[in-house]
Amino acid sequence: MARHTIASVRNESKLKVGFVSISGFLLWLGGYYLFYRGFVWLNDFQADTLGAGEMFTLGQILMARLLSLFALALFFMLIFSNVLIAFSTLYKAHEVRYLIQAPMSFGTLFLARFIECISFSSWASAFIGTPLILAYGVVHGAPVAYLVASALYYVPFVTIPAAIGAIIAMILVRVFPQLRMWASVTLAIVSILAIGWYAQQRITAERLGEDNVVIALFEATNQTQSPYLPSYWATAGVLSAGTGNYGDAAFYWFLLMANAGFATVVAIFASQLLYYPGYSYLVGQDRTRIRNMMRGPFAWATRALRFLRNPQRVITIKDMKLFWRDPAQWSQFVIFFGLMTLYIAFIRPGEIQRSSDFWRTWIICMNIGACSLILATLTTRFVFPLISLEGRRFWILGLAPLTFRQLIWQKFWLSVITTSFFTVGLVILSCIRLGVEPEVFALSLFSIVATNFGLSGLAVGLGAIYPNFQEDNPARIVSGLGGTLNFLLSVAYLTIIVGAQAMLLQSRVLNAYANDAQFQLAFAATIAFMLALSLLAWLAPLWLGLRNLNRMEF
Amino acid sequence: MITTENLTKRFGTKMAVNNLNLEIPKGEFFCFLGPNGAGKTTTIKMLTGLLRPTEGRAILGGHDIQKDPVEAKRAIGYIPDTPFLYDKLTGREFMHFVAGIYGMPDDQVSKVGEELMELFEISRVADQLIEDYSHGMRQKLSFASCFLHEPEIVIVDEPWVGLDPKNIRFVKDYLKQRTREGLTVFMSTHTLSIVEEVADRVGIIHNGKLLQVGSIDQIIALQDNPGSLEDIFLEMTRDTLEEMVP
Repeated sequence: MARHTIASVRNESKLKVGFVSISGFLLWLGGYYLFYRGFVWLNDFQADTLGAGEMFTLGQILMARLLSLFALALFFMLIFSNVLIAFSTLYKAHEVRYLIQAPMSFGTLFLARFIECISFSSWASAFIGTPLILAYGVVHGAPVAYLVASALYYVPFVTIPAAIGAIIAMILVRVFPQLRMWASVTLAIVSILAIGWYAQQRITAERLGEDNVVIALFEATNQTQSPYLPSYWATAGVLSAGTGNYGDAAFYWFLLMANAGFATVVAIFASQLLYYPGYSYLVGQDRTRIRNMMRGPFAWATRALRFLRNPQRVITIKDMKLFWRDPAQWSQFVIFFGLMTLYIAFIRPGEIQRSSDFWRTWIICMNIGACSLILATLTTRFVFPLISLEGRRFWILGLAPLTFRQLIWQKFWLSVITTSFFTVGLVILSCIRLGVEPEVFALSLFSIVATNFGLSGLAVGLGAIYPNFQEDNPARIVSGLGGTLNFLLSVAYLTIIVGAQAMLLQSRVLNAYANDAQFQLAFAATIAFMLALSLLAWLAPLWLGLRNLNRMEF
Repeated sequence: MITTENLTKRFGTKMAVNNLNLEIPKGEFFCFLGPNGAGKTTTIKMLTGLLRPTEGRAILGGHDIQKDPVEAKRAIGYIPDTPFLYDKLTGREFMHFVAGIYGMPDDQVSKVGEELMELFEISRVADQLIEDYSHGMRQKLSFASCFLHEPEIVIVDEPWVGLDPKNIRFVKDYLKQRTREGLTVFMSTHTLSIVEEVADRVGIIHNGKLLQVGSIDQIIALQDNPGSLEDIFLEMTRDTLEEMVP
């Protein structure tokens, strides 16, 4: 299958393959440069050595802590994505029906699908992780063994979260369908509150408001140093290889391998207990689900959207219903925004307002950055697949008397209005809690609105440039070339937007402007730059996407 | 009502449809026959605007499907062989959705939609999610939705898959009845016994080339060894069978 997939790339337009390859490479290079500059900056903490007996400078320890933080974040992200991928690969994929009746044990079937899960979930993390690993190696002057070790550690490192994710997915399939709706919703809300509470206790941003940045960074990364975490084994092993300590490197590699093997065995054992009963239960559920279109929130939404003309109105209502009736879709949306809302609600404004202007401005910019990053994740995950999801149903829209221009704009406005409702609300809440000045409030608001337009334009446009009409699973659509490119371009775009804003505000804090008039000029120039970039991100992909759909055959 | 002029489609070096010329008048039940890979589905996709012809043109209800697609599409209804529908909508919601994209007023949708769902016997499951429907029920829903906007032309691609004998009889009679009222039907099928019952004229396509067009009697009369429609069809498409069975 992999061979055929690679072969199919040869049949794609050379321009398209070239564009994706070059863009991907440039983004990888951009990521490498950012990590490299960051590590060089951290490496400058040379003065604070830890004493005569220590062989590391403080900068090197900070770099190692950041690597651990990245590995830990990646580890949890991989668990989360593997739960979703395992669910679709083990239960929802069309070929499962065929494989279930094939003469093989459920353990063998699980193992085959499990390997597919690992490959699906891990390649994007490799793309993001390699520039970081390389940048650290270059700044640290690590030997080739460091790079070899990084590659060797990768497979067992991604296997453990894949096994945990698959086990969680199999347990959820056994437990959730048997719970009543109210119990499921209560469980979900309690889980989100617990995660939010933990985040507030451990990694609240105001800790960065402390005077000593080094202490703040150490506190923030303390949790990454637990010897029970696979992310710690991976980081410690790779770093040992980097310093020529091959004994420790081998120890951590064997530790990681042994645990990856153990996790896989546990997952196979769990599959023998849980997989078939779960599959059977899912397939054998009472399939009579009644939805009365004349009652409930959608009836209300249909009346509220009467100002829209058809066909846009019915397509919008259809998209809303499809989203709402697929728990895998809206649950992720709720988790992302739920966590962000909790974080902003837990901010202690008094403490932040007492902290220095320098840190306060950073927190404001980081809040907008976090909102935009969540927005980029959501537009990639939910908006990018919208055109592809029409896929096999294109005979309905393709035969209807409507133009692709109407379809593209309908998807765009649906995305902008929905995401603006949440992100603009979050930024307003954040600015009020932080008690920012009116011009910073206006800039933040402008920034998030512009980002909404830019990111939605990118997602809808790239979704139309790189549609996948053969796939019904949004998670798989997103994990393709187009989805990855969309996420990387989105991150690059929002980095520039948030960076421009941070530069403007920090320059003022550092008294870089001679007078108010100079600041006003810089303010207007920043707004104009953000506007121009957002217009480009909004309109260019939409135009290219529309052109592609008009040329396309179905 | 349906005209094709030198309609041609090439996929790379493969000629899928080669200079197809057809003239199907209003109210005719036209059946399009051919073995697998003969070019039937490609022709249907060009008629419905899902594929762009390499050469030639298709005119439906007086509108060129490529130059005036919106007006041409208003005139046609399409029933695919595999009814991929929106699984998370109910049958009734799907009917309202289709009516909406054709710009039908709400009061008309309710009246006509309910009548069609009653006619195709899906009223009792109209509020259930489509993902819970059987293949036959999905096919009946796509039939019902196809007739919502009162099309002048209906293009049907092998519609019998998943339908039980009772429903096959009903659909066959319903389509025939509607042609008497002026509807034009273009149907691609492999079920020759049904073609013999309903077709006003038949077209046989093979390797992208239209071999014969006419009424069944005309086609039989033209053969050196007249037989049933099945005998003639197998004789005309023999090289395909020989390729398959060495």
